[in-house]
Amino acid sequence: MEYLSSDKVAVIDLASGEVSEDELSEDLVAQRIGGAGVTAALYEQHKDGDPIVLGAGLLTGTLTPASSLAVMTAKSPLTGTVVHAPLTQYMGQELKYSGFDYIVIRGAAPEPSFLWIHDGIADMEPAGDLWGKDVWSAVQAVRQQMGDELIQVLGAGPAAEKGSNLAQVMVNQWASGDRFGLGKLMAAKNVKLIAVRGMGLLEIAEDDDFVTRCLEILGQVKSGAWAGRQGQGDLGAALGFDDYAAWLEPLVHRSHSSFNTPFAYNTFLFLDDDPSLLEESAQSEPGVLLGDPAAAGVLRAMGLAAADAAAVIKACAKAGLDAVAAAKVCQAQGKTAAAEIQAALEGIDGTVVGLSGPFSDWAPQGLASDAASWKRRMAVAYIFGIDPIFALMAPEISEEGLVELAALGTGLEITQDSLDAVVADLCG
Amino acid sequence: MAIRIDPEKCTACMACELACGYHRDDAFALISSCVVVYRARESKDYLGVLLKEEEELVIARPEGLEIKRIGATDEEQSSGGGDASAKPMLLREACDLCEDREEGPLCLQVCPVDAIYQD
Repeated sequence: MEYLSSDKVAVIDLASGEVSEDELSEDLVAQRIGGAGVTAALYEQHKDGDPIVLGAGLLTGTLTPASSLAVMTAKSPLTGTVVHAPLTQYMGQELKYSGFDYIVIRGAAPEPSFLWIHDGIADMEPAGDLWGKDVWSAVQAVRQQMGDELIQVLGAGPAAEKGSNLAQVMVNQWASGDRFGLGKLMAAKNVKLIAVRGMGLLEIAEDDDFVTRCLEILGQVKSGAWAGRQGQGDLGAALGFDDYAAWLEPLVHRSHSSFNTPFAYNTFLFLDDDPSLLEESAQSEPGVLLGDPAAAGVLRAMGLAAADAAAVIKACAKAGLDAVAAAKVCQAQGKTAAAEIQAALEGIDGTVVGLSGPFSDWAPQGLASDAASWKRRMAVAYIFGIDPIFALMAPEISEEGLVELAALGTGLEITQDSLDAVVADLCG
Repeated sequence: MAIRIDPEKCTACMACELACGYHRDDAFALISSCVVVYRARESKDYLGVLLKEEEELVIARPEGLEIKRIGATDEEQSSGGGDASAKPMLLREACDLCEDREEGPLCLQVCPVDAIYQD
């Protein structure tokens, strides 16, 4: 695979510690395109090893607007079905430039381990001293160990180590779009962290035309409905959360974007410092990043003040818990006071209701016109590597445009028919 | 007309960093870019942008824009963004305003929030 690719698939056998590498077949890409299209195929190929398959979308890490997405594909311990969890912020581009297009993680390690994926090398390292650490401490420790603050990390927290169904795979210190308990799966494989860093290079088949088309699409996006808006407040308002922005506002520090994503929906809330502060905070952990409105929305509906809700979300992030699921479990147990909820998080477990794969509902269904449209849009986003929340917000990022970019970028015959076939397969 | 960055508008999306890398390498890459998003203080939500010019370093911090002469003794100027594996800032090529592009600097064009301008 010559273009938009490192042409490598890593296969890591956790039991033996052996790493093998396969070339990424152009036939596979022409047929399955990328992202979840390929991770699903690799899952099937390696399913005897109960694999976790990581991969970026075909267009992830390029100048395609909102090309931030990586995907984790695995059998969910909660549903027993193959699911795809969205991984955004800077994880997608880091994986794309890591020297591997896809990483297949088979079996289970005999001892706590972490995977270190860097510049075309996949190493398995002991994680005895990381096991038991909260997510934030573990991320900091691995960055210090490797001497690089820009390492992107997928992590399993203490909740996962205890086998909680509510354990989420975390992206650095923050919640991901995993609603399927994949943190629990990671820990069951004795994988504490997957650390990724890369300074690779992606050749482009028709580079001038590709970039020109990207700029055209960006121009349309900048003139679109979401121009000039940002943050969880605007996102919540669009979803009909009354006064959500006002409820959050006293804590809002800044909002920023996932990689190359025009709408800055990641809002950082300050709990332990003045949110109006512009200089670097003297506090080491002044707050928490909010990447979607679901958890805060549930906690707000339970009557919590914004600061208390944010504190719960922060505690969940450290423990590696799906804050939405944790909040709902507490709600079902009649725990609605902030102190009760905080106390309940230690050792929390429960049944996560309402899950239906294969795509996480982290990208709100309320942004789509109907369930079928939402599902198709998720499939398209997960294949090409488009931020799923922004994919719902921006019809300007059309299937036609993405197919055209795929063909221009790879030089392969990727058509709407190709896409329809992969979407049909993923959506079932 | 030098490149300047409005730190209040910047959302740290890295589009500028990728665009500059593309301009230099005719491929998608980040290592050659002369504009870099500073994101080593993630847990504090302290993000900014560094731009290397021929004789100056443009530092767009949240608290404001600062322009420093390259060669002054300053720990931050030499730090390169707090990461071991990326190329230190001072070893990168200086901004050439995409002089070979008819449309001008690509970073301006790709910024989704118009945080980059020429002054």
